Amino acid sequence: MSASDIIFLIVAVVTVGSAAIVVLSRSLIYSAFSLLFTFFGVAIIYVYLGADFLAGTQVLIYVGGILVLLLFGVMLTHRLYSLNLRTETFQVIPGFLIALAVFISLALVSTRTNWHVVADKPLVPTTDTIGTLFLTEYLLPFEIASILLLVALIGAAMLVRRRADI
Amino acid sequence: MGVLTRKNAVNVLMGIELILNSANINLVAFSRYSSNGIDGQMFAIIVIVVAASEVAVALAMVLTMYRLLRTVNLDQADTLKR
Amino acid sequence: MIMDNLQSLRYFYPELTLIVAMLLVVIADISFKRLRSVLNPLLTIVSLLLAAYFTAYINHSQEANLFLGMLALDSFAQFFKLFLLLAAFLVVLGSLQSEELSQVHQGEFFALLLAVTLGMLLMANSINLAILYLSLELVSLTSYIMVGYLKGDRLSNEASLKYILFGAISTGSMLYGFSLIYGMTGSLNLYTIRDAFLSQGVQGFDQFTTLLALVLALAGFGFKTALVPFHFWCPDVYAGAPTPVTAFLSVAPKAAGFGILVRFFFSGMTQTTGSEWGLVNGINWPLVLIGISVLTMTLGNVAALTQNNLKRMLAYSSIAQAGYILMGSVVLTGEGLKSMLIYLFVYLFMNLGAFLVVTIIYNSDKSFEIGDYNGMFKRSPFLAFAMGVFMLSLTGIPPFAGFLGKLYVFLAVIEKGLIWFAVVGTLNAALAAFYYMRVIKAMVLEEGNGNVAPLQVSFLNQALLVALLIPNLLLVFFWNPIDRWTASSARLFGGL
Repeated sequence: MSASDIIFLIVAVVTVGSAAIVVLSRSLIYSAFSLLFTFFGVAIIYVYLGADFLAGTQVLIYVGGILVLLLFGVMLTHRLYSLNLRTETFQVIPGFLIALAVFISLALVSTRTNWHVVADKPLVPTTDTIGTLFLTEYLLPFEIASILLLVALIGAAMLVRRRADI
Repeated sequence: MGVLTRKNAVNVLMGIELILNSANINLVAFSRYSSNGIDGQMFAIIVIVVAASEVAVALAMVLTMYRLLRTVNLDQADTLKR
Repeated sequence: MIMDNLQSLRYFYPELTLIVAMLLVVIADISFKRLRSVLNPLLTIVSLLLAAYFTAYINHSQEANLFLGMLALDSFAQFFKLFLLLAAFLVVLGSLQSEELSQVHQGEFFALLLAVTLGMLLMANSINLAILYLSLELVSLTSYIMVGYLKGDRLSNEASLKYILFGAISTGSMLYGFSLIYGMTGSLNLYTIRDAFLSQGVQGFDQFTTLLALVLALAGFGFKTALVPFHFWCPDVYAGAPTPVTAFLSVAPKAAGFGILVRFFFSGMTQTTGSEWGLVNGINWPLVLIGISVLTMTLGNVAALTQNNLKRMLAYSSIAQAGYILMGSVVLTGEGLKSMLIYLFVYLFMNLGAFLVVTIIYNSDKSFEIGDYNGMFKRSPFLAFAMGVFMLSLTGIPPFAGFLGKLYVFLAVIEKGLIWFAVVGTLNAALAAFYYMRVIKAMVLEEGNGNVAPLQVSFLNQALLVALLIPNLLLVFFWNPIDRWTASSARLFGGL
């Protein structure tokens, strides 16, 4: 195995491990912080897959935006004096069984299916292509995504503002 | 499993983010090995945008719930069942 | 033919109208403080009408792909666009005098309504997985907000939160299914996917993967149309949301969900050979769909029997109705498809009518419990009559419109030889009659609780009720034009 394979293995283990902690940990803060490692791990995997722009976007938006939002959510919804941010889990057995079934099916799927395979491509920077595609082939999703963001903005702002008349 | 076993709403949200991320990894990986062109990456970017909006709205709802009930424990959100 | 971006714009007028209107509503909401309570609804209504005009005016008979393969432009699309615009139009009118909504600031409501309509127009016509996911999420996200619109109300908030969490899980799973399909076929375009499945054939283990991917995709579609087993959010959300929103959810996203279900499975997974469809992958789709349909009908009807809250009852009722609609998809023929469209069309008027009556009664009595519907006949004969018509129509009794829908669906199924399926459907309809009749019985036969004041129905609401009653009463006589219209819409998928 080459060095890059070993590094990939480490990254993969870290990513999956952190994801496991997110799901299994009893403390909300531990979950949130291991989510951080998961997101970073995913970004590094993207780099391995030649998606450089996407990796940067992942870090920027997921870590810099979504994770911060989630942390705000965690912090704002607990009484500050009880920093013992524990959460309970319930019905662990059925949940675990379902997760196991899902895991097994996905493992089978990933190893046994005839994926549509294409010849190996060189790793090139993708930013240029992504930019062009968003203005040609993917123009409609681009515009609709902006409407989606507008709606989310309106909705979130409306939900959180105080009673004062606007 | 994070989604099925948790009581805290923010925790469930984290689980949902994991689901979306896993699908994204799939998309990007297939984009490299299974297709000509980078459609998978484009789709993944769209998914990231959607995920961000969803988290924003979901957290706004959670905060509203906290304002009304002083808790985000999903077991206590059961007025509708009665 | 595939059109590029500039060419497609000319066919995009309806959606553009909605976008412009939405932006105008947002701007008007912050600029004109005194006029806005009139301006917002007016803008919304005008834009919906304009969009409908454009939809009818644009020539949909050519089969084209817009925006370089993102959207489809065909008569099937036209049907759904008109349907959804009509639904939004009726809901806007019905919401104008709702007590629940008048207590909160309404400007955003109309903007959100326009956005969700836009999303649905796109959703029902998507042929690319990326835009499909995006528009589905646009609809979902906007619905989450609309359900939780009554910020101060516990029920509304709780309903919305459950809706969000359940919805995000379903659409996340659907996305995973999409990614698997992408891996197997190398493309996001439904037609290319179908060709890839057909050409390379699917044997052995791949069948399991395909099945898994499609089941996951079905999770997303089933969530939107509230099919079993993805229906758990439905009663709570319907009960907690403001009633006009519930009314909207019960017809519009459901119809859009069916639109995309049909497109996805029929364009992406099957092929047309003559007047029947061959099955890709040899997976026995009809069996799966039959199973879901029967489960959905039965569960919906059985659960509705015990409900006392009218909104929850109507929620379970609409779950069951979705089961009937799904029956049409089982037969994999143009006839079956046509029956689905007809059922959807009559369902629009029946369900919106029922919810409008619920809204009106809530406005004056502040209650959704069936016990408070007692003696309504004495207080407002018109209202009781209207509700009676809607209930009978939902049951499927002739000569009301609901009968037309059920007739077509059952006939399509019988034609294919699945007589037992039609029998199940009929039994279910008989079962449903129990709870529909319960409402009528309460209104007409039971004694009121002492509140004998006559219930005034405002002029607007009266007009709206009449507008909804007329189709219920008369559509049966116009079955031929409807038949021809839906047949031309369904022709896209072959064999008529």
